[in-house]
Amino acid sequence: MARRRIQPGRLRRRLTIAFVLAVGLSAASLAAGSYFVVRQNLLHDSVEAGLAQARQNLVLAPRYLHGGPDDVNRLLAAYRLRGDFLTVGRARGRAFSSSFSVGVRQVPADLRTLVRSGRIGYERETLNGTHYIVVGGRAGPRVELYFFFSEQQRFQELSQLRTILLAGLGILVLLAGLVGAVLARSTLRPVARASEAAQSLAEGLLETRLPVEGRDEFGAWAESFNEMAAALEGKISALSAAQARERRFTADVAHELRTPLTALVGEASLLAQHLDEMPPESRRPAALLIGDVGRLRRLVEDLMEISRLDAGRESIEAEPVDVGSLAAAVLRSRGWEDRVRLETDEVSLTSDPRRLERIVANLIGNALEHGRRDVAVRVGRDGVAAFVEVTDHGEGIPPEHLPHLFERFYKADPSRSGRGSGLGLAIAQENARLLGGEIDVWSELGTGTRFTLRLPVTESLRSRDGGVADEEHDALREGQRRPS
Amino acid sequence: MTSPMMKPIVTPEGYPSASGAEHRLRGDVDEHVLLVEDDASIREVATLGLEEAGFRVTASGDGREALVHFHQAPFDLVVLDVMLPSLDGFEVCRKIRRESQVPIVMLSARSDTVDIVVGLELGADDYVTKPFELSELVARIKAVLRRSTSAPAGAVISVDDLEIDPAAFRVRRGGEDVALTATEFKLLLELARRPKQVFTRELLLELVWNYDYLGDSRLVDVAVQRLRAKIEVDPKQPRLIRTVRGVGYRLDPS
Repeated sequence: MARRRIQPGRLRRRLTIAFVLAVGLSAASLAAGSYFVVRQNLLHDSVEAGLAQARQNLVLAPRYLHGGPDDVNRLLAAYRLRGDFLTVGRARGRAFSSSFSVGVRQVPADLRTLVRSGRIGYERETLNGTHYIVVGGRAGPRVELYFFFSEQQRFQELSQLRTILLAGLGILVLLAGLVGAVLARSTLRPVARASEAAQSLAEGLLETRLPVEGRDEFGAWAESFNEMAAALEGKISALSAAQARERRFTADVAHELRTPLTALVGEASLLAQHLDEMPPESRRPAALLIGDVGRLRRLVEDLMEISRLDAGRESIEAEPVDVGSLAAAVLRSRGWEDRVRLETDEVSLTSDPRRLERIVANLIGNALEHGRRDVAVRVGRDGVAAFVEVTDHGEGIPPEHLPHLFERFYKADPSRSGRGSGLGLAIAQENARLLGGEIDVWSELGTGTRFTLRLPVTESLRSRDGGVADEEHDALREGQRRPS
Repeated sequence: MTSPMMKPIVTPEGYPSASGAEHRLRGDVDEHVLLVEDDASIREVATLGLEEAGFRVTASGDGREALVHFHQAPFDLVVLDVMLPSLDGFEVCRKIRRESQVPIVMLSARSDTVDIVVGLELGADDYVTKPFELSELVARIKAVLRRSTSAPAGAVISVDDLEIDPAAFRVRRGGEDVALTATEFKLLLELARRPKQVFTRELLLELVWNYDYLGDSRLVDVAVQRLRAKIEVDPKQPRLIRTVRGVGYRLDPS
């Protein structure tokens, strides 16, 4: 399953950015709004003041301009006393100015047109980097007057205001970033904690709980998380207790059966020695009894083994093993030499010989029991795996049974009650897995069945050989050394 | 020599030589076995089985009582169950080992690794797990007895400060007797006969315990451990009996 890579911190970053954006945008619009209102008012005031001054100036002008040679100069002198502005004018075809820096040419054309039509008008203009509001009007026929009021101060104030507002905005955004990060972190902390808690739950620490802080949604969430964890813990511990009880029970049953079984086995073998001396009518039942005691013994031993495997406390006593001679020893010790063909290559590996013996014996025993005819064992190596193949030429196993063959007490043919415990293949498979191997089965109706045990012959297994087992033994011994 | 504390077969001084201790010459028959087992049925059937195999059996169902029996008469071998009332099998084994090297075969009710290893560490020579066939028990007992009765031939072997006398079943270190059980003695002898040669556990099981193939290699490991404790200067850093990783053991004279 392709899972997207989880990037922790992304949500935190996103929250922080959103917070900064919200704070920044609202502060920016607030600042821009107030800036424009202030600017509007300032400029409006400037226009009003300019117009008022200009009207007074225009009213004053005819008193000086009576056609004398010096009248313009006197008018300008009078204006100079009235305030800080420049005057440009045109009277009776003659242009004049109160300053060298401005002249009639600097008056915007639109304004002059407006003024010539007899109205008072104004326009803003920047000359040599200085903002002016130019107000113009007629003061009698053929007399145009234009007043340049400097707005430099107002524009400077505006620019200061702008600087202050921008700096404030910048500081606010930075602050918002910090606060946002802190807020996002503290908001998301419960999420991070919950994720850690869920992980530790998944790892099996079922007692994990979340601290419930506050009465907010996260508090409620933590509470329901804890309820879930408690329910899970309860369920799982109940389940594992039940499973442990069941396994314990199996182990106890098998264990309790051992003592009477040991007596039975002994008694049966004594009976077996004296079978010939028995009267004929009790000889047959005694023989059956002996056989059934053997069956019971196998069942109990298999139960013990499977419950030991279930308990998971099985250790591997690894040492070098020659698989071929092990198979031969299995046949020899069980008296199967005449019934089973053995074909071996030189295969040695490091493994637990007793477990291996158990697996091989179970597979051969199974083949002899069910396959009956022509059982062959082949030991060899292919690539990195050693294999033991047990083939019979019996009737084969129907395909629908194959996946279940290694289940406990599974019988492919319920009508046929075998001599085995029904646990042999399950035990063989569990042991094979313990040794890092696997058993598979192939079968064809009418042809036969083949079980193949595959075991790794790798360096890693090689390194876990007898030397390690020695250390384990030594450790065991250290722990149990009696004071002598 | 005849006090109950000094069994003729077990103490080094009393160890029968090929020609000594005439009661050993009667062979397998009439060897005296102390059977300690708490379950009455098993006790009875095992007694019957051992008697049919030619042993003389004294049976007891209680640990303390067994020790009393042990002190009253000489025994050639003790068969000891682990689960016993009043004093468990381990405790009985420990008490017997403190004063005697008589061969001991444990009956383990559990095939629990720990149980078996503990028994072997306490000095048991072999074990049989329940349920067992009588023939298995008899075979184990005979194998253990063979170790202590068949006098190995050969001249005295000297390894470092050890002096191994096969005929006298005696080991001396620096002139002093070292008390070894028959199993430990046989193990040391096999290793010392071919010094520097590596013995696999499998081979040692065959030579010492008479298992033909599938014995328990822990028998070897624990016996080597016990042997080292008795003959090495520093058993934790063995110089004489070396472990060959992944293979087995080797005797390395310096």
